[in-house]
Amino acid sequence: MSLAPGTKGRERLITAAVVVGVLALWYVAALLVQSGDDPLAASKLPYPHGVIEQIVDNRSVLAEAGWTTLKQALIGFAVGAVVGIFSSVVMAQAAWLEAGVIPFILAAQMIPMIALVPIAQNIFKNDDVTRIFIAAFITFFSVSIAVLRGLKSAPPPAYELMSSYNAGRAKTLRYLRLPAAVPMMFTGLRIAAPLSLVGSVLVDLSGAQSGLGYLMLAAITFGSEGAAVLWGAMIVLLALGFLMTQAVVLVERIVAPWQPDLRHGKA
Amino acid sequence: MTEAATAPHDHGPVQARPTAVAVRGVSKTFGNGASAVTALDDVSFDVPQGSFLSVLGPSGCGKSTLMRLVAGLQPASTGTIEVAGGTPDEMRRAREFGIVFQQPVLFDWRTVEQNVGLPLQIMGRPKGEARERVEHMLELVGLSDFRKHRPWQLSGGMQQRVSIARALTFAPPFLLMDEPFGALDMMTRERMQTELLSIWASNPGTTVIFITHSISEAVLLSDRIVVMSARPGRVLKVIDVDLPRPRTDETRDSKEFVDVEAEIRQLIFSQEGR
Repeated sequence: MSLAPGTKGRERLITAAVVVGVLALWYVAALLVQSGDDPLAASKLPYPHGVIEQIVDNRSVLAEAGWTTLKQALIGFAVGAVVGIFSSVVMAQAAWLEAGVIPFILAAQMIPMIALVPIAQNIFKNDDVTRIFIAAFITFFSVSIAVLRGLKSAPPPAYELMSSYNAGRAKTLRYLRLPAAVPMMFTGLRIAAPLSLVGSVLVDLSGAQSGLGYLMLAAITFGSEGAAVLWGAMIVLLALGFLMTQAVVLVERIVAPWQPDLRHGKA
Repeated sequence: MTEAATAPHDHGPVQARPTAVAVRGVSKTFGNGASAVTALDDVSFDVPQGSFLSVLGPSGCGKSTLMRLVAGLQPASTGTIEVAGGTPDEMRRAREFGIVFQQPVLFDWRTVEQNVGLPLQIMGRPKGEARERVEHMLELVGLSDFRKHRPWQLSGGMQQRVSIARALTFAPPFLLMDEPFGALDMMTRERMQTELLSIWASNPGTTVIFITHSISEAVLLSDRIVVMSARPGRVLKVIDVDLPRPRTDETRDSKEFVDVEAEIRQLIFSQEGR
């Protein structure tokens, strides 16, 4: 593993190169649109520095909207994760339970969120509760399917060992199946983290009166400055999603550093 | 060297001991109908108390299945197995078996000492007593300096030593080993064999059932060898090995050792020729 530090440095370099490349592409695209003869199109794609200017100018508004969206996404994420883990543990107890429930989970996953949001809004009559519900709903699927798979990941001899210790169902779950499911749980959480944020924004966009999505919709009607605010809100959303994912990765490194792709110092 | 199955002996240390495991006419069939596979066919032998018995045979002779039947992990299709006066399942529930598989099956999320202490933790032994026991076992297998390491930081041989320490940590009367050194290189394997003998010597009274496909391994370790044929698994012969103990690396070079090895090899090859 002597390559580890070099690999890390190279990864950072690549990330930086990608950011520079995207910015360059953006400048080129903006330049093309600005020098064209379509004023409407020109107003929709400002230069990156214009967007950054707008983010700085509107920082308190963006921060407030971002926090509204993020807070409910985080609560929904936590609720969805807990419910997802719990239900996968229940499903893992019997093959018939899993076979009976999984089709419904897969079918429910096919519901377009854009259709579910208005239903939830009409039921809850509260933007915050709706955001939490949608974020939890999305998180639930990723986490429950991943944890269920993780709970079944231990090799057969490991079960035979537990059997030779006369460990019952509860102890086998505690000492073997749950710890073995931790890597898959984090995979599910990592996928769900940005999705829960997107779910929360979707509620903002669907007639809520606050949040990043609301700000985006409102910005469209702002006039020439509006597009830059819209882009600014999207960049804030991107940053929040990135931070949420990185937070999950950080927790994983602390909680389960023993996984093959996280370990170092193999003899 | 004697034939235990056909000619009972009234002398020698192994033959005089009481029977700890009695396997009587055991067959095991997997599946049913046309797709049924007979893994074991009418297998019988005795394991004397406190002895080291090897089940020797080619792959596909059902020797791993046999170990699982004795351990109470699977039921036999026909025949009976009596372990210390009870059924294998009763003895499994009484935690009479320490098991070592070909793969060490260590838990990556636990340190070496936590892996060795796992059975004690599950069995709810007091923490202080467990800690002492784990300490002792790690010393016995020579891994005291690695107690805080993770399994994947150890070599294959060291991992298997952890696995052996874990199997013996709750002092089970039976140690069942399913080709424990099969995944190791030849030199590590030979060192592990002599180490196992010294570990066994410091756990007196432990009855060992050892599954292997290596003739020399079986001869070096065993008091008694059950030689099996493949598909379906049948007992060719039960052979008692009277080589003196303690057996060391020099034993491998002795004439008696080479003779027993040669006889078993001829026995297996003559069966294959039929």
